[in-house]
Amino acid sequence: MADPVSSISIPTATTAPWKGPVALGVAGLVVLAVCSVAMPTFLVNNLIRAFLYAAVALTVDLLWGYTGILTFGQSAFFGIGAYAAGLIFTHLGFSWGYAALALVAGIGVAWAVSRVVGWLAFYHGASPLYASVVTLVLPIVLVQGIYSGGEFTGSSSGLSGFDSFDIPIELWFFIAGAFLIVLAVMAWLFVSSDAGRLLVAIRENEVRCEYLGIDVSRYKARLMDTAAVIAALAGFLFACVQMVVAPEYAGFVFGTELVIWVALGGRGSLLGPIVGTMLIDVGSAYLSGDLPYIWTLLVGIAFVVVIVAMPRGLAPLIAGGVRHLVPRRRRAAAVPVAFCSAQARAQDHAHDAWPALSVHDVQKHFGSLKVLDGITFDARAGELLSLIGPNGAGKSTLMRCIADGAERSGGSVKISGTEIGTLAPYDCVALGVGRKFQTATVFESLTVGEALRIARHRVAPPSRWRREPTLALPQPALDVLRTTGLDRMSDRECRYLSHGQKQALELAMVLALEPHTVLLDEPTAGLTKQERTQIGEIFVALSSRYRMCLLLVEHDLDFVQQISSRIVVLHQGRIVMDGGVDEVVGSELVRAVYAGESHAGEPRVGELNSEGQP
Amino acid sequence: MLNLGLDVVTTAAILFIVSAGLLMIFGVMKIINFSHGAFLTLGGYSSVIVGHAGLNWWWSVPFALLTGFVLGIGVERFIVRPLYARPLDAILATWGLGIIVGQIITLVFGREVQMVVSPVDGAIAVFGGHYSVYRLILVGVAVLVALALGGLLNGTRLGLQTRAVIMNESLARALGISSARVRFMTFCTGAALASAAGALITPLSSVDPNMGVPWIVGAFMLVLVSGSSLLSLALASLVLGGAQVLVSTFVNPVLGGLTIAVLAALLLRLRPEGFARG
Amino acid sequence: MTVQPAVQIHALRSGYGEAMVLKGLDLTLQPGEVVAILGKNGMGKTTLLKTLMGFIRPAGGEIELFGKASAGVAPNRIAQREVAYIPQEKALFQDLSVEENLRLALARDRDFKPMFERIEDLFPFLKERLKQKAGTLSGGEQKMLLVARALIRRPRLILIDEITEGMQPSVIERLVGILLRERESAGTTMLLVEQHVRFAFAVANRYAVLELGEIAVSGGTADAAAQATVARYLSL
Repeated sequence: MADPVSSISIPTATTAPWKGPVALGVAGLVVLAVCSVAMPTFLVNNLIRAFLYAAVALTVDLLWGYTGILTFGQSAFFGIGAYAAGLIFTHLGFSWGYAALALVAGIGVAWAVSRVVGWLAFYHGASPLYASVVTLVLPIVLVQGIYSGGEFTGSSSGLSGFDSFDIPIELWFFIAGAFLIVLAVMAWLFVSSDAGRLLVAIRENEVRCEYLGIDVSRYKARLMDTAAVIAALAGFLFACVQMVVAPEYAGFVFGTELVIWVALGGRGSLLGPIVGTMLIDVGSAYLSGDLPYIWTLLVGIAFVVVIVAMPRGLAPLIAGGVRHLVPRRRRAAAVPVAFCSAQARAQDHAHDAWPALSVHDVQKHFGSLKVLDGITFDARAGELLSLIGPNGAGKSTLMRCIADGAERSGGSVKISGTEIGTLAPYDCVALGVGRKFQTATVFESLTVGEALRIARHRVAPPSRWRREPTLALPQPALDVLRTTGLDRMSDRECRYLSHGQKQALELAMVLALEPHTVLLDEPTAGLTKQERTQIGEIFVALSSRYRMCLLLVEHDLDFVQQISSRIVVLHQGRIVMDGGVDEVVGSELVRAVYAGESHAGEPRVGELNSEGQP
Repeated sequence: MLNLGLDVVTTAAILFIVSAGLLMIFGVMKIINFSHGAFLTLGGYSSVIVGHAGLNWWWSVPFALLTGFVLGIGVERFIVRPLYARPLDAILATWGLGIIVGQIITLVFGREVQMVVSPVDGAIAVFGGHYSVYRLILVGVAVLVALALGGLLNGTRLGLQTRAVIMNESLARALGISSARVRFMTFCTGAALASAAGALITPLSSVDPNMGVPWIVGAFMLVLVSGSSLLSLALASLVLGGAQVLVSTFVNPVLGGLTIAVLAALLLRLRPEGFARG
Repeated sequence: MTVQPAVQIHALRSGYGEAMVLKGLDLTLQPGEVVAILGKNGMGKTTLLKTLMGFIRPAGGEIELFGKASAGVAPNRIAQREVAYIPQEKALFQDLSVEENLRLALARDRDFKPMFERIEDLFPFLKERLKQKAGTLSGGEQKMLLVARALIRRPRLILIDEITEGMQPSVIERLVGILLRERESAGTTMLLVEQHVRFAFAVANRYAVLELGEIAVSGGTADAAAQATVARYLSL
C-alpha cells in the first residue's frame, strides 16, 4: 500500500543540525520585519490571519501527515484559545493581568479537552476511523455549546468590540509571523531528530511499536495535547489581533479546511502545509469576493483530485522546482550511524529463581470455538523450546497469549515470576518478553539505524532535536547485525532490504529490547538454506551464550531437530507431548499427529496400533 | 406522556431512514461515506425541483432515488474505487465531494432557505392526544425501508452475494462473486437511499445547501455502533434516538442535538462492537 | 488433435513481498488427472493454490488453465472459468445456511434444484439440513459441505487445500469414495494439496513433493515404492 507522504528533505549538517533551520529562521524574521512596513495594509492584515492559520495547519500536519492521526478537531482548540480571550476581555475588561489570565485559561482548557479526546480516541486496539469521527464530533459539540451560551458567549454572532493590546498592526504582523517561524523551526528540528522518526514508525506500523515497548496510545495523546496547546495559543493571538471571535473559528468547517490545506500543500512535509494554507487563504481573500462559491468549489475539486490522484499534494512539485534552483548539497537525510556495544544493565538476579516463562492452564476461545485448552508448561533460561504441531493447532495463538495480556480467555502467564494479568504488549515487553512476528514487520520508510534506535526507545529515549551519530546496542543484537552484514548498512532504508535481511533486522530490534525471553514465530519462513543455517546458529548462541529463553514456533522439523533443547507438540489446542528432541522426534504419536491420522480426543502415547490409530 | 413516546418512536424512525443507506455502505465497504450529507441535500433539492415542476410531492421520493443512484455511480467509480486500499483517504475524498456538491447546489439554487409544501398536513387524533400525521407516516416508511432492505438482502441473489461479501470478501471472490460489482451496487443503493431520505425529511424542516450537516454526525455514530446489522441499527436508533428526545425535552434542545454523538462515542469507547453482537 | 492440458504451469515464481516461496515451478495436469502435491508446511503448497486461484500475483512464470492465460487474473474470474477452490481456513460462511452456501457457488440461482439433485446421493445428510446455519454442523459435516459446494457446480478443475486436516478416519474413507466416483463419472481434473499420504495415494494418480518451493520428486501413485519415498520426504 503506497504511503502518500511527501518529504521535502532539506539537507541538514549532521554535527550541528540546528544551525541550518535556525539560520533560516533568523533570516525569515528579518524578512518579516522588513515586510511589515513595506507591504500594503490589506495584505498585512490578511497575512496575519494566514500566519496563524498556517501555525494550526502545521499541528494538523504533525498529527496527520507524520503520525497518521486524521483530525478534524484542531479548530476546536483554536476556538478555545480565541474564546478565552474574547470572553475575558468582554466580561472582565482588558489589562495585562487579564490577558495573562486569558492565555492561561485558554491553554489550560485546551489541554484538558485534549486529555478527554485522547482518552476517547487513543487506546490499545482503537480504530483510526473512530478516532477521526471523535475529532469531528469535538468542534461540533463545542460550537453547540457556544450557541447555547446566549448572551454570555455571544451565541451565533460571536463577541466583538472588546479591547485588546494597543499595538500597531505592523508589530502584530511581526508577532504572528515570528510565532509561525519559531513553530516551524521547532517542528523542523523535532521531525528531523531521532525522536521525530518515531512519528513515522507509528504511522507505518503501530503494532510493531507496541511490541517494542512503546506506549503508542499515550504518545499519540501527548502529541495531541501539544498540538492543542499550540492551536490554542494561535487562537489567543488571533482574538487579540482581530478583536472578534465567532463560532465559525471553532467549528468543523474550519477544522476540515485545515485538513484540506495540508492535503493540498503536501502532508508530511512542514513547508507544504504552510505554503498551501497561505496561498489558499490569501488567495481566497482576494478572489472570493469576486467569485464566492466558485472559489470554494475550485478548492473542493482540487482537494478531491489531489486525494485521489496526487496524494502527496503539491509539495513534490514545489520540491522539484526548488531542487532545480538550489545547488546540490550533500543530502544528509539518511544519517549513517555507528553501532557500539551498550553497557550491560545490572542483572536483576532476584528473578533468577523463577522460570523465565510459566504458562498455566491457558485457554483461548473465539465464541464457541476453543482454540487453546489447558496449556501448561514452564520454560527456563537457556532453553531453546520449539513449539510444533499441524496447522490450526493453536501455536501462533499461544504466542500471542504470552506477549499480550489481553489475548487469553483464561489461565495465567508469568514472566520471570510476574503475572502478566491483562497487560498490554508494551508492558509485557517491560517484563522482559520480546516477540518476533512471522512476517518481518519493520518500518519501510526508516533506515536500519533509525529502526534500531526506535527499538531502544524504552531503554534509551532518543533526542528530540538532534541526530545522534552512534547507537549503543546490547551484544546479542550486535552479533546478529554483524553476522548478517547489517551493521554496515545503517543508512539503508528498510524497504530496500531483502526478505532475509528484514527478518534479521527484526530479530536485532527485538534483541535490542534486552529481553530474557524471546518468542519467535516461524523465523525461517522464506529463508534460503544458507540463511536458515545462519539464523539457527544465532538462536543456539542466544540460548547457550546469553542464557536467553527462546520459544520457537516452527514448521521446518529438520531445523527444529537440529537446534532445540526441548520440543512441545500442540494438537487441536492441547499439548500432546513435551520432552527432549530424541524422545519427541522418535515418537509414534507425533508421527501420527502429523500424518493426520488421529482424530479429536487425546490419544495416549503407547496405545496406537500399527496404522497410528488409537 | 404518549406524545413523548410517539416522539421517541418517530425520531427513531427518521434516524433509521437517514442512516440505513450509510449502514449498507459501511457494512460492505468498511468505510464511512462522508458525502452522506451531500446526498441528503441532493434529495432535499430533488423535492424542490419536483415542487417547481408542479408535480405532487410524492414524486420527490422516486426522483430522489434516481438522482442519488446516478450520482452514486460516478462517485463509486471515480472516487471510492481508486481509494480501496486507502480507507482514511476515501473518507477525505468523499468529504471533499460533499463540499463540491454543496457548492454546486448553492450556485444553482442560491443560499436561501426553500420551503417545501408538506404533502400531508396537520395532526390526527391519537389516543386522546394529537400528533403530526407526517411523522407517523415516516414510521411506516421506516418499516418499509427495513423490510425492503431485508427483502433485498435475504431474498435476492445479489443480496445473498452482498451478505457473503460482508462476511468474507475473499471467500466470496473464490466462489466466483464479483466483489467489485457488489461494492458498486451497494454504494449506489446506499446513495440512492440517502437521497430519498433527504427528500423525506423536507416536510419536517427547511431545505438549504447545508441541510445535511445536522444529520451526518448522528448518522455516522449510529452506523459505527451498529456494525453491519440492520437490526442493530434499528435498536441503536431507538435507544439513542430516545435518549436524544428525552434530553431535548427535559434538559435543553441544544444538548439534545449532541446526545447521540456523545453517548455513541462513550459506548464505542467502552464496547467497541457497539450494539452489534460481539 | 492433441488434447490441451487442463493446467499448465511453467517457471512459476510466487510468494509474499520479497519472500519467494515458489522458485520456478513446472507442473502439467492433463484433463481428468488427479495430482497430489505433498510436502511439509511452509514449502509452498498453499502458495501454489492461492496463486492459481488469483489471490497472489505471481512474480514470474506462466499459468494456463484450459488453454487460457490465467496468471494474475482476479479470483472471481478464475472461479467463473469453472474452477472450484476449497481453501484450508475460513472456507464456509458460518452464519449462512447450508443451502445459501451451496447457492453461492452456482452461476445461476435457478440451477440449484437440478444441480443439487445430481449430488444428493453423495451427501445424504445435507438434504435435511439445508436450512440450518453452516456453523452448526459438525466438523466432518462442514468438510463434506465444502466438497458438496465444490462439486455442485460441475467444475472442470478442483483445487483442494489439506481437506483431511482434523478429519475422522471414517469420514476420510467416505471422501475417498466420493472423489473417486467423481473422477470416474465426470472426469474432473483435481489438484490436491495434502500431508496425509495414504489419502493422497488413494485418490490421486500422480504425486509431486514440494520442498523449499520446488518439486523434489514426482511420479505415479501406482508405483509400489512411491509411498515409501514420499513418506521419507515427509518424515520427522
